[in-house]
Amino acid sequence: MIRKLYMKPFVREFLRILLAITISLGLGFIITLLVSDDPVGAYQAFLTGPLTRINRTGEWIKETITLTLLGLSVALVFKANLFSLGQEGQMLLGALVSGSISLFVPLPAILRIPLALIAAMVVGYLFGALPGYLKAHLNANEIVSTLMLNAIALRLYDYFLIFHIKPEGAGYNASDFFPKEGILPTFIPNVPFLAEAYELFSRRANITIMLYIAIAVVILTWYVMYRTPYGYELRMLGANSKFASYGGINTKKTIVLAFAVSGIVSGLAGAHLGMGIHEKLIANITIGIAFEGIVVALLARNNPIAVPFAALAYGYLRAGADIMERTSDVSREMVLVIQAIIILLVTAERVLPIIQQRVNAARANNNLSMNSEKPALEEGG
Amino acid sequence: MPAGGKPPAGYLMEVCVPPIIELKDIYKIYPNGVMANKGVDFSVNAGEIHALVGENGAGKSTLMKIIYGMEKPTEGKVFVEGVERHFNSSRDAIDAGIGMVHQNFMLVPSFTVAENIVLGQEPTKNGLLKKRQAIDETLQISQQYGLRVDPEAIVDTINVGMRQRVEILKALYRGANILILDEPTAVLTPQETQELFSAIRKLVDQGKTVVFITHKLREVKEVSDRVTVMRKGKAIGTLPTEEATRESLARMMVGREVLMRVDKPPSERGRKVMEVQNLSYVDETGRRVLNNVSFNIYAGEILGIAGVEGNGQTELVEILTGLRPATSGDALVNGNPVLNKTPREVRMAKVSHIPEDRLTNGLALEASINENLIVDRYFRSPFRKGTSIDYKTVRDFGAQSIKEYGILTPDGDLPVASLSGGNMQKVIVAREFTSDPELLIAAQPTRGIDVGATEFVREQLVQKRTEGTAVLLVSADLGEVMSLSDRIIAVYEGEITGVFPDAESLGEEELGLYMLGIKKQPAEEMEVLL
Repeated sequence: MIRKLYMKPFVREFLRILLAITISLGLGFIITLLVSDDPVGAYQAFLTGPLTRINRTGEWIKETITLTLLGLSVALVFKANLFSLGQEGQMLLGALVSGSISLFVPLPAILRIPLALIAAMVVGYLFGALPGYLKAHLNANEIVSTLMLNAIALRLYDYFLIFHIKPEGAGYNASDFFPKEGILPTFIPNVPFLAEAYELFSRRANITIMLYIAIAVVILTWYVMYRTPYGYELRMLGANSKFASYGGINTKKTIVLAFAVSGIVSGLAGAHLGMGIHEKLIANITIGIAFEGIVVALLARNNPIAVPFAALAYGYLRAGADIMERTSDVSREMVLVIQAIIILLVTAERVLPIIQQRVNAARANNNLSMNSEKPALEEGG
Repeated sequence: MPAGGKPPAGYLMEVCVPPIIELKDIYKIYPNGVMANKGVDFSVNAGEIHALVGENGAGKSTLMKIIYGMEKPTEGKVFVEGVERHFNSSRDAIDAGIGMVHQNFMLVPSFTVAENIVLGQEPTKNGLLKKRQAIDETLQISQQYGLRVDPEAIVDTINVGMRQRVEILKALYRGANILILDEPTAVLTPQETQELFSAIRKLVDQGKTVVFITHKLREVKEVSDRVTVMRKGKAIGTLPTEEATRESLARMMVGREVLMRVDKPPSERGRKVMEVQNLSYVDETGRRVLNNVSFNIYAGEILGIAGVEGNGQTELVEILTGLRPATSGDALVNGNPVLNKTPREVRMAKVSHIPEDRLTNGLALEASINENLIVDRYFRSPFRKGTSIDYKTVRDFGAQSIKEYGILTPDGDLPVASLSGGNMQKVIVAREFTSDPELLIAAQPTRGIDVGATEFVREQLVQKRTEGTAVLLVSADLGEVMSLSDRIIAVYEGEITGVFPDAESLGEEELGLYMLGIKKQPAEEMEVLL
């Protein structure tokens, strides 16, 4: 019975990650022992920090939302066996466009917010399609092109922020706070019987309706990836691009779309930064989070349903590290080292060779009993 | 030995000196069960040019890899200059003075010619490459052996001929006395081939020994001193080139095929389904791979293409299925042009395709069996409903195909990678046969699969043809082509050399002469039969 359960890929994967986390937390503690005068306190801050106060929990959840969107964005590209570092640029432009609409378009909230979100997605789509086009038609390396496009997006963002958006004469590089019509509402509706919770959250941990949007995007991404012809094309391209072209799939179109659709989600993440977290446009708005979608996608093995869980776990780690840094004598650098070890252990394909070997052996056994006619010889063609 | 002067190269030396390389009773069984060499004895004399010929899959490359230390023999002994050696890697073989130039060049494309040649044994000073010295040494060795190269050119920018010379120089720079060339002429133009041959002669004049693999008998006659013929993992014989005729070599290479019995009703040739006119293809390197190929395929017949691999068959199939653009010519299916169309457009013209290499493009291994079965139809009814794919229909279709085609698996949702080679091929056959094709292009349909699956695939091909599908069969297995086809065309170096309307009465030796370019039917005679 237990053996059977162990054979299920999901259970196996879960156990694998659990073990990796345990080992890496142990290593993390050893490092803390070496660098801290109060290792237990410091490590406690790291492990439980995000749950100690409601505002800390709020930060964690808000970060998780951004990480979820970014993780989905990366997973969409990774699934096609392509690589993209373009989330930063797509987020910046998404934030810029949605922020400008929030600030300057005189519409009621019910129209202004959807308009801003849609604009962020459109700009993400277009800006995402660019490296896809370059890759498919000119065979430009997508790592280089997405990085370069990030640099362009960053300058564009700074230019508009500094010369057009920030209030005249201001001594800082940031916009005014968005008006109420341009800020995403709290995730708890403002109705009488939830008044208390509404009050608590909107004051101390402003989690917005982006929570629901992110969940919807998770489901939608799963649906697109596993249930639509486009998702089929994407996955076949990723599994074997030669097979895809042989079978008649237009691989160039699929490549362009992979990048473009990924851009939609990143654009939305950018809108969340402005309209959900900072409530204004600031310089370097994406700093520290731009490339974190890659980690999330790796942790989730590009499975959209696993992405929010990976984002929760990774977001927790980031929040905990932040709190440890602020409340203990462990330096930021060491915190990052511990964080990196955990990621390394969880994402590395061959971290736990013993388990891996046993899994492979079990798999081979399975195949043997399956192909009773002529086993070993033909294994793998 | 004749008095005075150096002894004549080649077999005469056998009597006085031990062979420089001697293999005794070599067996090689790969982990996947393929037996590539079955008791091969092979020897090379110092200072000779030794040609090794045989069809693809005859075990030539494996044998050479054993000499070069890349593969270990399962059984048997290797002697170099009379001493038994056990090479653990090609490093050991290089140290023993053996060099090999592979079919696919192994150069660093972003390095210069000189850097590639000295790579691994660089002249250095304080850990830094002495560029000048590398260039000088390259020039010197290049002049010594008459192999022209530009030491400062980046490898990426030089042509195939020069790349090959760089590979040869690289081996010589490492002190190779014995040079193994794996099908060196396959990638060369005729002029480059001539240059290569004169370079080989020069090498031998300077005391080197050269072994080269080929399946072009003309080249054997032109340049070698002795020739060894391999067939199906065995060395059939070694003889002095001057005693060999192209006909005798062809006979040794092709041998007597055991024809399997295939029950097939007489062909009822229907209307013309495919028409190929003056198809030519020149590849990226400027080599003319297909030259004015014209033929027709009719409903209800299997047209077999007989030829040694590498004579344009692969490209022909890729061009006809939309995977490769043609240089010139025309191809029509039921009157609709299919040349330079996308694979999807070709498939929509009711053409299906069993690809030569199922792992490269026939399947996506990590995707499920069901998903592999729908790659040509996921976008249309009944598989597509509205904006999504109806996975219930997909699963039903998968279950039905698994049953009908006897694919051995408990569940169609399992990845194709979980299947054996024969069952993988059945997945492809199931997909390509159920799309209701009017033209079926089958390339190497039974390569590397077990006897049961082979028989199944062959039966299915014959059944399709009997039902009225036009079939184009390309196979390196001559026995398969001869026993399945209704009509056969022989190809050699991208040209049709013969058309045989009655496959059954054809002798394989006769066919072999056409496949190896020794005989050619007059154009007028062929035209009537195509």
